[in-house]
Amino acid sequence: MTLTGGEVGARGARENAVPAVVAKGLTKSYGRGDATVHALRGVDVSFATGAFTAIMGPSGSGKSTLMHCLAGLDTVSGGQVHIGDVELTGLGDKRLTLLRRERIGFIFQAFNLLPTLTAEQNIRLPLDIAGRQADQDLFDRVVETVGLRERLGHRPTELSGGQQQRVAVARALISKPQVIFADEPTGNLDSRSGAEVLSFLRTSVRELGQTIVMVTHDPVAASYADRVVFLRDGLLVSEIHRPTPQSVLDTLMKLEA
Amino acid sequence: MVKATLAGLLAHRLRLLLTSLAIALGVGFIAGTLVLTDTIDAGFSQRFAAAADKVDVAVLPAPGTDRQVPPHVPAAALEKVRAARGVADAQGLVRGTSALIGKDGKAAGDYPTSGIAVVEGPLNRTEITSGAAPKTDAQAVLDENTAKTRGFKVGDRITVLDSRETRHEFTLVGLFDVGLDQELGYTGAVGYTTAMAQRMTGQRTFTEIDVAAAEGVSQEQARAAVAAALGSGYQVVTGEKFADDLAKQNGADTGILKTGLLLFGLVAMFVAALVIYNTFTILVAQRTREMALLRCIGATRGQVFGSVLLESTVVGLLSSALGLLLGYGLSLGALTALTSFGAPLPTGVVPTLSPRTIGLAVALGVVVTVGAALLPARTATRVAPIAALRSQVEERTFRTGVVRTVLAALFLLAGAGVTAAGVAMDPGESALFVVMAGGTVFFLGVLIFGPVLVRPLGALVGWLPAKLFGVPGKLAVDNSGRNPRRSATTTVALTVGVTLMTLIAVITGTVRVTFTERLDEQFPVDYLIQPQDDDATLPRALGEGLRNRPELASVAAFREKITEVGGRGAEFRVGTFTPAPDFRPELDAGSIALLTPGTAVIGRHVAADLGLKVGDRITVRTAKAGAVDLRVVATFDPASGVLPPVTVPTADFDRYFGAVGDSRLMVNARDGVGADVGRRAVEAAAQPYPTAKVASAAEIRGEFEESLDMMVMIITGLLGLAVLISLLGIANTLSLSVYERTRESALLRALGLTRPQLRRMLSVEALILGVIGALVGVALGVGFGWAATQTMNDDVAFQVPVTQILVFVALSGLAGVIAAVLPARRAARASIVGSLATG
Ligand SMILES: Nc1ncnc2c1ncn2[C@@H]1O[C@H](COP(=O)(O)OP(=O)(O)O)[C@@H](O)[C@H]1O
Ligand SMILES: [Mg+2]
Repeated sequence: MTLTGGEVGARGARENAVPAVVAKGLTKSYGRGDATVHALRGVDVSFATGAFTAIMGPSGSGKSTLMHCLAGLDTVSGGQVHIGDVELTGLGDKRLTLLRRERIGFIFQAFNLLPTLTAEQNIRLPLDIAGRQADQDLFDRVVETVGLRERLGHRPTELSGGQQQRVAVARALISKPQVIFADEPTGNLDSRSGAEVLSFLRTSVRELGQTIVMVTHDPVAASYADRVVFLRDGLLVSEIHRPTPQSVLDTLMKLEA
Repeated sequence: MVKATLAGLLAHRLRLLLTSLAIALGVGFIAGTLVLTDTIDAGFSQRFAAAADKVDVAVLPAPGTDRQVPPHVPAAALEKVRAARGVADAQGLVRGTSALIGKDGKAAGDYPTSGIAVVEGPLNRTEITSGAAPKTDAQAVLDENTAKTRGFKVGDRITVLDSRETRHEFTLVGLFDVGLDQELGYTGAVGYTTAMAQRMTGQRTFTEIDVAAAEGVSQEQARAAVAAALGSGYQVVTGEKFADDLAKQNGADTGILKTGLLLFGLVAMFVAALVIYNTFTILVAQRTREMALLRCIGATRGQVFGSVLLESTVVGLLSSALGLLLGYGLSLGALTALTSFGAPLPTGVVPTLSPRTIGLAVALGVVVTVGAALLPARTATRVAPIAALRSQVEERTFRTGVVRTVLAALFLLAGAGVTAAGVAMDPGESALFVVMAGGTVFFLGVLIFGPVLVRPLGALVGWLPAKLFGVPGKLAVDNSGRNPRRSATTTVALTVGVTLMTLIAVITGTVRVTFTERLDEQFPVDYLIQPQDDDATLPRALGEGLRNRPELASVAAFREKITEVGGRGAEFRVGTFTPAPDFRPELDAGSIALLTPGTAVIGRHVAADLGLKVGDRITVRTAKAGAVDLRVVATFDPASGVLPPVTVPTADFDRYFGAVGDSRLMVNARDGVGADVGRRAVEAAAQPYPTAKVASAAEIRGEFEESLDMMVMIITGLLGLAVLISLLGIANTLSLSVYERTRESALLRALGLTRPQLRRMLSVEALILGVIGALVGVALGVGFGWAATQTMNDDVAFQVPVTQILVFVALSGLAGVIAAVLPARRAARASIVGSLATG
């Protein structure tokens, strides 16, 4: 499969669709008293269905915290988060877990895979946990897309870092989640493998209509997205559409200044 | 380096505690055993020393050569002793049997009560606890325990049978404490004046003469004088030596207890060593990066080695201290429990931790802990500094090495070979020891081969859970085989306990069935009536009385005399039985109708001993008819028969030996008569004969099973300690694994695994480990149990107590699950975000 940077028209159409994830007045603080750290100070943001959004910002600006709160991995201190029509805030652990299982996919920076399982078992894991059957067509397509057909029987230790992340991407796609959250998915990869993984993410948005929210501090990675939002000191401070590495870098420079 | 190690230990207090507890339990058990036996020994010595204060010289019979007659001191010796120079007083001790009659009119207890003399004056060693010592021939005292169980109190009239079974009445004037005398404690005892004791027991001789020396005469001088007066044929010892000897004899008794308990303690320590070894191996693996970092910044191999050893030394010291406390508590508990069960133990001695106990416990704890940590410490030195730079610690994949396979095969073959040799040997103790040695070697083979077995066994055991529990189940199966070496050591610790428990279950199960089968053969009747004293007989009138009861169908009476058979000095029991309708003893050939006047049937062992066969003639020396010549008409199997070894017709027997009483009566109730009705009829007939004891097959079986069950319970309880320690090992391994897999768990939770599912995953892993350990244990236990029963003396009916073994397996699985509770809770509670960030 080849991927080109074009198809601008399709991109624009999707951005106006119903939001997949919405956060209103989101705050999050750690610790108490003098030691309180306000990681998020009131973030209002929404992520459109079928769009690829990058979250950027300097280190410590609250990117990971925002993602964790949006994905129901962590509790919020204030504000609301909606995934589709479900409000996350106030749900108990059990409901949150089931929600993650049904509607959310994850790609982490590292340690994405269970070492005891083969690549294929890792890909099918979310479905197995949910007790669902994989759609064989989708499975084949996803496996083709990420180019893992030959590697399905291998265990993670027998795969390169790039291959491991591709397995993680495939795993995130296989359950057709409402949204995929990726935290620095290419942070541990060399630039070629990184580019590959990012291409797959973009392809999945184009071809499968997948919604992806990706945290990154790399302008090049961010440029694969349809839209980039910028965080600083726990606040959403800026956003750009149809980013290029240069436009992202420029915005970052402005923020740091 | 030292600081870093100690800081690390403090940071993981819970793990430290779990690890220490494993050793502490083992050390505690051993320390407890030592404190307990020390205390009992000290108590005995104190009591015997008190006795020695009263007795200056003791005269004992020379060790007897004739086993039939217990050694004794003739009455004439007493006068000689009294006449010796320097002797102020001398008293002879009398001991024999004199059956106390209970309130039900029957002789009390399973064995006749002992009769003893309570001597007057300063030499009296019988401790009267209430009332007074007997002064006249009409007075007697009773031991406290018998008085309590039989419901007698001071002032009551008691009836006692003398050695000729004539009734005598006494006024109970006091109660006494049997002290440390095991025999009196067992039979119960009545005390009389010396003269009366001699009359009641029929003993004209003494078991011992106690001497008090005159003022100013030393024990040694008195001893010399008494020895000179008596001449040879006696043991004359000073009171001090006498007390020492008694204490030593008792020390030998506690020695057996001590050795037995210490064996269990050693098993526990072995299991604890496995747990420690495993814990340190995992710790070293987890700290690869930390150690590599230390090496990077300049720590030498020696320093890394030292830091692991230091850690184990601290753990060892801590556990020994904990173990000592535990042991002291255990011994206190055991003493209280033993005395409350009425064990004849000296009271009033406070248990103390002797320096020897402290030294031994600490040494053991430290040596075992450090020893178990040696291999892991060596592994730690092999960590390359470069490992610090690797982002993720790779799990080392396990491959079955050639060395391991060859070594395991050698041990397994050697173990199996030795065991087979033991089974092939003539039954007996040495065969059992050979089998035990074979079992130990084989077990070492299993220990080495364990890592290879874990995965297939895990897949087998995990098959059902994987089906039942979905993803958590499948992941659990994978995890259980993930680190075969770790899993194997964890499970083998449990295997030790389960193997021994199964072994005991198989052996006792086999003994139980064998006994029951034999009982059915030897006791083919409803009731057996025997005199309380084995050597005594019952009047023939009892048999007549039984025959007159309508509820009873048949009564066979047995009469016997020991006499010379074959004319060459060999003695056998020669006897007869009165024919009864449904009593048909089995013979090797033909029926009992062969037994006609002038003939005999003999046991096979008699035939073998005397070189006889059917048709030969044997000479039997008789009391009334001189030597008679009998024709052997048949032989029988002594193991299956109830017949006397040489059986003759009833009329012949009376002619040979006169009207000998019955030594045994076998009674069958009529068909349709209820068990209680039959029993009442038999008891009514036996009522006039106080020494006639009625037993039923059901009772004998019940008593035997009860004592067997008791034994199984005690041994299983003692082995429970080893199992408990191995469970600590499972808990420890799991919590370390949980720690290692923090990020994995977080990932699973992020992907939608619920908390209960995560907990279940760990429980199933523990379940699998537990069941693997149990299965291997059961296989070994049954195998070697079979081998052990083959070394028993007789043909045994091998029996595998299936239910009991299934219970072991189920309990092991359950115990594993319980061991997983804490680690699983911890894993499930961890925050996902926090866990994702670690590592
Ligand atoms: N568990 C925590 N406890 C306390 N402070 C935290 C915790 N996690 C994050 N923070 C703080 O919150 C802020 C935002 O962190 P994070 O979201 O990880 O930033 P980013 O991912 O943008 O680098 C930082 O100041 C960080 O120190
Ligand atoms: Mg971050």
